[in-house]
Amino acid sequence: MSENLKKIEKITSSKYKYGFITNIKEDRVPNGLNRNIVKTISKIKNEPQWLLDWRLKAFSHWEKMKEPKWQNLNYPEIDFQDLCYYSAPKEKKKLKSLDEVDPELLKTYKKLGIPLDEQKMLAGVAVDAVFDSVSIVTTFKETLKKAGVIFCPFSEAVQKYPELIKKYIGKVVPYTDNYYAALNSAVFSDGSFVYIPKNTRCPMELSTYFRINAANTGQFERTLIIAEDNSYVSYLEGCTAPMRDENQLHAAVVELITMDNAEIKYSTVQNWYPGDEKGVGGVFNFVTKRGICHKNAKISWTQVETGSAVTWKYPSCILKGDNSIGEFFSVAITNNFQQADTGTKMVHLGKNSKSTIIAKGICAGKSNGSYRGLVRINKGATNSRNFSQCDSLLMGDKCGSHTFPYIEVKNNSSQVEHEATTSKIGEDQIFYCNQRGIDTESAIALIVNGYCKDVLDQLPMEFAVEAKKLLEISLEGSVG
Amino acid sequence: MSLINNLEKYSKTLLLSTEEKNDLNSFFSSGFPNISDEEWKYTSLNKIVKNDFVVEDLPVFDEDNIIDKVSLGFKNKIVFLNGKLVSSPKIDGITISDFKSFKSKTNNSILSLNSSMARNGFSIDVENNTVLNSPIEILFLISSTRNTFLQYRNQINLGKNSNLKIIENIHSIHENLAFINHFTQVKCDENSIFEYNKTQNNKDNFSLIDTCNIYQEANTTSSVNTLIFGGSFIRNNLNFEQNGENAESNMNGVSVLNGSQFADNHTFVDHKKSNCRSNEVYKGIYLDKSKGVFNGKIMVRPESQKIDAFQSNNNLLLSDESTIDTKPQLEIYADDVKCSHGCTIGQLDKEALFYMKSRGLAEKEAKALLTYAFTNEAIDKISVPEFKDKCEKLIAEKLNVKLDFNH
Repeated sequence: MSENLKKIEKITSSKYKYGFITNIKEDRVPNGLNRNIVKTISKIKNEPQWLLDWRLKAFSHWEKMKEPKWQNLNYPEIDFQDLCYYSAPKEKKKLKSLDEVDPELLKTYKKLGIPLDEQKMLAGVAVDAVFDSVSIVTTFKETLKKAGVIFCPFSEAVQKYPELIKKYIGKVVPYTDNYYAALNSAVFSDGSFVYIPKNTRCPMELSTYFRINAANTGQFERTLIIAEDNSYVSYLEGCTAPMRDENQLHAAVVELITMDNAEIKYSTVQNWYPGDEKGVGGVFNFVTKRGICHKNAKISWTQVETGSAVTWKYPSCILKGDNSIGEFFSVAITNNFQQADTGTKMVHLGKNSKSTIIAKGICAGKSNGSYRGLVRINKGATNSRNFSQCDSLLMGDKCGSHTFPYIEVKNNSSQVEHEATTSKIGEDQIFYCNQRGIDTESAIALIVNGYCKDVLDQLPMEFAVEAKKLLEISLEGSVG
Repeated sequence: MSLINNLEKYSKTLLLSTEEKNDLNSFFSSGFPNISDEEWKYTSLNKIVKNDFVVEDLPVFDEDNIIDKVSLGFKNKIVFLNGKLVSSPKIDGITISDFKSFKSKTNNSILSLNSSMARNGFSIDVENNTVLNSPIEILFLISSTRNTFLQYRNQINLGKNSNLKIIENIHSIHENLAFINHFTQVKCDENSIFEYNKTQNNKDNFSLIDTCNIYQEANTTSSVNTLIFGGSFIRNNLNFEQNGENAESNMNGVSVLNGSQFADNHTFVDHKKSNCRSNEVYKGIYLDKSKGVFNGKIMVRPESQKIDAFQSNNNLLLSDESTIDTKPQLEIYADDVKCSHGCTIGQLDKEALFYMKSRGLAEKEAKALLTYAFTNEAIDKISVPEFKDKCEKLIAEKLNVKLDFNH
């Protein structure tokens, strides 16, 4: 062990001083879901009356709804009355050193090339402030403040900027939208709030990773991003490192609002626990993500989906303003017994609106991946343009890949193109690589990376590097 | 009274077998499909089924030269007048007979209704090694002074190494509403070749649901060409099931719609065995307030390796009031496959139009020529020249130009 490392170990053996400060007495509400639970959650979070009313309205609506069954997913029935809907962000039991961490996890970190101190933070090993990102966060917050950007936890925003929350919450994803959005609206735990003022270019990429208490936003995350006129922000969600979580069900809602000439770039790397090789365990991830574009505005969704046992996610754009642009770039990888039903919706309302969809699916093992997308061009959306491409790559004869695109066009000046292909990696391609001294596993990684390049190129630089490695790890053992 | 009441009343007068009773009950318990059914998301039957229909047997009518007028002039003709088989040819190796009851899949309420109450239709059995070079023309003519609901239930069985071509035309002559529930089951035994050409060219009082289930054994080729030129409501369900290796399924469709016509093409290819192929080309042209729906599904079952499936759906929206909803789907459970689909929605190329106009073609003719060229990929697959000519004429007629595309 190097000198430096020893020092770290020594420091880290002291108790973590920067745990969550919480003055909430009960840290867990009883299992089950009813009006009282919703009221309790709201009370714990000290929310204003209007938000409680909103939650309750969402709850009564949820009660009337039926769980959707149309998705191409197969999972055991979820007993919504047997879940805990709120547990306070409690301090996790910190491990003393990396030696206590699951060696499998460490192996993965090493492959991802995560620095040692970060590894510790991720694995839940106590890290002293010197190595923590707190100092980074402080400088980071200052820069944002100077620019007038608000970036804080959702519950903090409810206290500090209630007028903004009141104005925009549920405007893009109303609580009536779908079963899981209604559930989230009733019991959302926490999340992020971002506000970019007019004529501002956010000086840095915002990442949930840097919002220190993001580590425990709970299972019902809610994100709201508002970009005022002529502003720009790039937001990163998630983390390439595998996340272990005791919560089986995740139902998040993300709302993006882009005013005239604004742009939001939203990148996600989702790597929740996918369950083991036998398909036991794993997170069920039901996410509603949607953005609205006003005049000349642009929303770009980029996602790399590698985790979760079940993924149900359709980041969408409502292209309301003239000349607005929506983009969706996705790589979804499923292995073992994972299932993903993911895609996008592009609803064209404004004139000359444009959308691009590039979805790449990779299925290995006994997994199933589906692309499900909607492109709707309304009557008033003249001269609109859409291009969609959905490709699937199959590895192994036990997996399945499916495409369900819906295309609806209601005027005669718009152009829509859709193409989809499904195939496997050619034996000749692998042979070509083998011949040049690249072993089969690396060859597949090489081909997969090439196949996903269109999407990975959209990710911010440091994310892209990690995502590439993540692809390799996700597909490990799927060959031969 | 609405159609479902008419049917309920009529069903009580019929003698039904146990199976037919079961089918009837399953129809009445689910009723006609509505838009909350995923397969009928864009297609509503409400406007049709709310009407009062005559569901009982109709008398055979006698109209001068009507058969000659509608027929393409082939020697072998099967003719139905108001549901009754009035003439059928005698061909060596082929047995043609009137309606015979047979079992079929009843996986939706439309088929349950058909299987329980249909009493009209044909049955064609082609013996092994029979090759018929000229096609059999089948005419279903309807004429009534009242709103008519009719069901046909047909079966075609092709023996080993046989070859059969069919041209089918369902035509309503009078001004009253006609609603047809048409079902055909085709079984292709090994090495047989089958071609089915359908024209659906009717006035705006005509509604049709046409279901065709084709079961293919090894080394068979079957092709279905669906040419839609009119009708207020058309829904085609075309299903292929490949039960043997090296089977090939081809589907071509052209829809040219105007007014407030509506056409919905649903296709489904079920690749159950390895080394099979499917090709699908559907072209839609929509004028005025017409509406089109396309839903193509390709399913590759586990263990069905080396499948080559291709599907394309191209649409031209020539009017601002026209609409297209399309859903090309792939469901693939095997890895060594080559499956692709493409779908486009657009307009005529302005530069090509300009090029033609600058060479002296009037705008209308230039547009028609480009539109014809757009359909050509599908039309070209028709192997019966007389039928192909007829289709080309109908396209010109529909686009309101006096052009002969072939010369």
